Amino acid sequence: MTEQTTVKERQGIPQQDKPRTYWYYVKRQFKKNKLAVWALRTVYFLIFVAVFADFIANEKPIVMKYKDNVYFPIFREYLHTFFNVPFPEDLRNIPSWRDIQYDWAVFPPIPYSPQNIDLYNILVGPFDKQDVPSTRWRHWLGTDDLGRDIAAGLIHATRIALSVGIVSMGIAALIGILLGSLAGYFGDDTIRASRASIIFGMIMLVLGYFYAIEVRKYVIIDSLKESIMSFVIQLFLSAVIFLAFLFLGWLLARPFKKIKWIGERVFLPMDMLVSRLIEVIVTIPSLFLIVAIVAIAEPSLLLVMAVIGLTGWTGIARFIRAELLRIRNLQYIEAARSLGFPHRRILVRHAIPNALTPVLISIAFGIASAILTESTLSFLGLGVPPDTVTWGSILSLSRKYPESWWLAIFPGSAIFITVTLFNLIGEGLIYALDPRFKR
Amino acid sequence: MWKYILKRILIFIPTLIIISLLTFWLSTNAPGDPVEQMLGGIMGSEGRTTDFMATEQAYMEQRKKLGLDLPLFYIALQPLSVPDTFYRIPRKKHQEVLRRLIAQLGNWEYIQNYYLKLKDAQRLLFNLPSGGPFRKYRGRAYEIINELFLTYDTVKIGFYTTLLTVTADSFAYEFSKLATDTNLIKNPVQEKSAIEEFRKASRELRNAYLDMINNPEVWKNYVPTIHWYGTKNQYHRWISGFIVGDFGISYVDKRPVAEVIKDAVKWTALINIISVILIYLIAIQAGVYSAVKAGSFQDQILTVVLYILYSLPNFWIATLLIMFFGGGAYFDWFPAFGVSSLPETAPLWQRIIDVAHHLILPVIALTYPALAFLAKQMRGAMIQVLKEDYIRTAYAKGLPDKVVIWKHAFRNSLLPIITLFANVFPFMISGSFVIEYIFSIPGMGKESYDAIMSRNYPVVYTVVMLVSILTLVGYLVADILYALVDPRISYSKKR
Repeated sequence: MTEQTTVKERQGIPQQDKPRTYWYYVKRQFKKNKLAVWALRTVYFLIFVAVFADFIANEKPIVMKYKDNVYFPIFREYLHTFFNVPFPEDLRNIPSWRDIQYDWAVFPPIPYSPQNIDLYNILVGPFDKQDVPSTRWRHWLGTDDLGRDIAAGLIHATRIALSVGIVSMGIAALIGILLGSLAGYFGDDTIRASRASIIFGMIMLVLGYFYAIEVRKYVIIDSLKESIMSFVIQLFLSAVIFLAFLFLGWLLARPFKKIKWIGERVFLPMDMLVSRLIEVIVTIPSLFLIVAIVAIAEPSLLLVMAVIGLTGWTGIARFIRAELLRIRNLQYIEAARSLGFPHRRILVRHAIPNALTPVLISIAFGIASAILTESTLSFLGLGVPPDTVTWGSILSLSRKYPESWWLAIFPGSAIFITVTLFNLIGEGLIYALDPRFKR
Repeated sequence: MWKYILKRILIFIPTLIIISLLTFWLSTNAPGDPVEQMLGGIMGSEGRTTDFMATEQAYMEQRKKLGLDLPLFYIALQPLSVPDTFYRIPRKKHQEVLRRLIAQLGNWEYIQNYYLKLKDAQRLLFNLPSGGPFRKYRGRAYEIINELFLTYDTVKIGFYTTLLTVTADSFAYEFSKLATDTNLIKNPVQEKSAIEEFRKASRELRNAYLDMINNPEVWKNYVPTIHWYGTKNQYHRWISGFIVGDFGISYVDKRPVAEVIKDAVKWTALINIISVILIYLIAIQAGVYSAVKAGSFQDQILTVVLYILYSLPNFWIATLLIMFFGGGAYFDWFPAFGVSSLPETAPLWQRIIDVAHHLILPVIALTYPALAFLAKQMRGAMIQVLKEDYIRTAYAKGLPDKVVIWKHAFRNSLLPIITLFANVFPFMISGSFVIEYIFSIPGMGKESYDAIMSRNYPVVYTVVMLVSILTLVGYLVADILYALVDPRISYSKKR
């Protein structure tokens, strides 16, 4: 690299400080859209709020001096939950953090946790008279029917909303990119397999299912009750068993390759299979399916994320399929093929990276709709455990107390703003990626 | 063209089969026993053997009526340890416990023996005397047996079976103490033999348990077997009924599902048809207006308003509408819940006005997001078309604006609007799902929400299948309309 630039310098060719990538142009185009840039910054802010929610709204002080010792109770809480470090003697069994005799203490901006129950202020509005020691302890956005602070609830619920949006779209992107690129790159006429390996593959699919899922069914179910970690380990073990059987099928099919009919190689219609699958998923009423699954199972946030992700990948898959159908006929792919690169390398290193940017549009809109779906679910009283405060759950309370407008206005605005932000980003990406709009 | 339509309809079939399998599979994994749901719970500790037999009989009959005594599917992939007649065991809870026992021990013969002995004990329990001091013992034995039916932890089973023998013994001891009390014991010989039988049964149960845990055959769990059940299975029964329009019986109110859906569908259809008409009427006007005046102040205002409307969650707006206009604490302009407050006997025109009054808020909540979306698409499409050369030509010819816009530009910008027509169906269904729940409209959305909540699977299946069929039909209609609007598109030439 250094040698080349010096040669160029000697020849008097103006030096470019950086190679200008496709990304560079996308970024430049995106930045022209002031609204989208502003929306992106606000999303950064929301992520900040979600990450530091414990320091923005918490009943415990951030720093405090108590009985001549300086403590950081929120950090202590983290140590306790993640590393099982016990709390200091003095800080155990504190009924109300507000009423201890501190030497001094710095409280978070909102001195309430979402679960805190303030019995003196039940269902008070932001402008009502509140029974609090001073304005420092005011419930700025009111309280719900148990006396829980709405502002604290909203801030902590940002975490749930964003994590549902991001994780579910992460799952969707993974599935969508995988299946979409298989369909688009290989089409119906690239991958070939011998009839023997298809037959053995089918048999091993059934056997693999039997040993990985059917036999281990109760082990997997019980591990979920134990902890998420052991559940993941058990799932991973099942996946290993499943893949081992597929590998075995491949090994068994090898000797048959020379035999006449059974060893003949036929095309695998990847595109047809994936397109059919997409059609099935699109046809099922997805909200309906999600509600049905979530209503059957125990309420858990992970399940909500998984279900939204598993039903939401079709848009991404379609995008990337269409992109790769175009790309696979371009010259640089042909060049890579004629160099003898294997399909895997061309797909992963050359084809997918160039098809990835349009997927961002789909992901941005997908996050918006995932957040909307999650809040619809918790509005219907499904999905998350009943004691978890979410935007949707606060909003659903307002149906019970129609005169408490703050229960409807604030969480609804939070949902509306977040959804709008992601929609604006998606829209900005459309303009940034579409050459027709280039100015 | 006809060939194309036929081909598309043929492609629907595998899609629908996969969807039906998916819904069916989902419902078989759902907790709860529909028969118990229809008949009420199991019997209490009081009551006689005859009552017990009658409840069991009623259970079996209802189960047969619902077709739940059949195997699930045409084919089953099971371990060797699970017998192919396993599906005959009544009560889903028992099946679950037995399956778990099989997964631990694998010796079905012994497990079956244990289960039969447990059922014997349960039956004999109801023969025992229940008066005076015996009530306590009988209640205890009843609880232990119920616990045994739900336990698959072998250690716990061991504990409970021992406890049962002890309870039976103390029962017998108590009886021998009071045997002379003629007030309490009316029929000493018969009751004594009942107690002895129960004692024997509890011992046998204990022995069956010991045999079961001492002879495990875990290897049987790792041998796969495939069994073919033929067409006499639950899925076949349901799907063949579905094809001829017999959707089954609702678990909740025991009415035919077709009837339940027929009652519900008219409300959903009504609000959706009103809503679709409004959407197309307003959205096309707004979109075209906005596109013609693109860049102007009016266009900018309209774009922003449409954008905000599109992003507003409809369940929030619905809640706010009820709160502020539906007689919450603010304006009592519209009724917030239901579809009608007048009796059936009221004059027709009054009832129409009343229903309209009820439906204004839900229709607003259902209409605005789709309207905003469609207007946005319409504007985009129209702007693209207005840039075309032939529009400039039309203007140059001196045609009036109206003709250029509606005759030349509008027709060509219809394509994206038609695609959306296909998406309107599912959109409407999921939209009315929440809206009907919020406004308590007895339509398909609320009916299916209630069905999911009460695990009323025949209704859930049927709604999913019908909505899927509607969606597929929507796609087909969109394709056909495409060809009608744009003569350049021809399906017959496509391969």
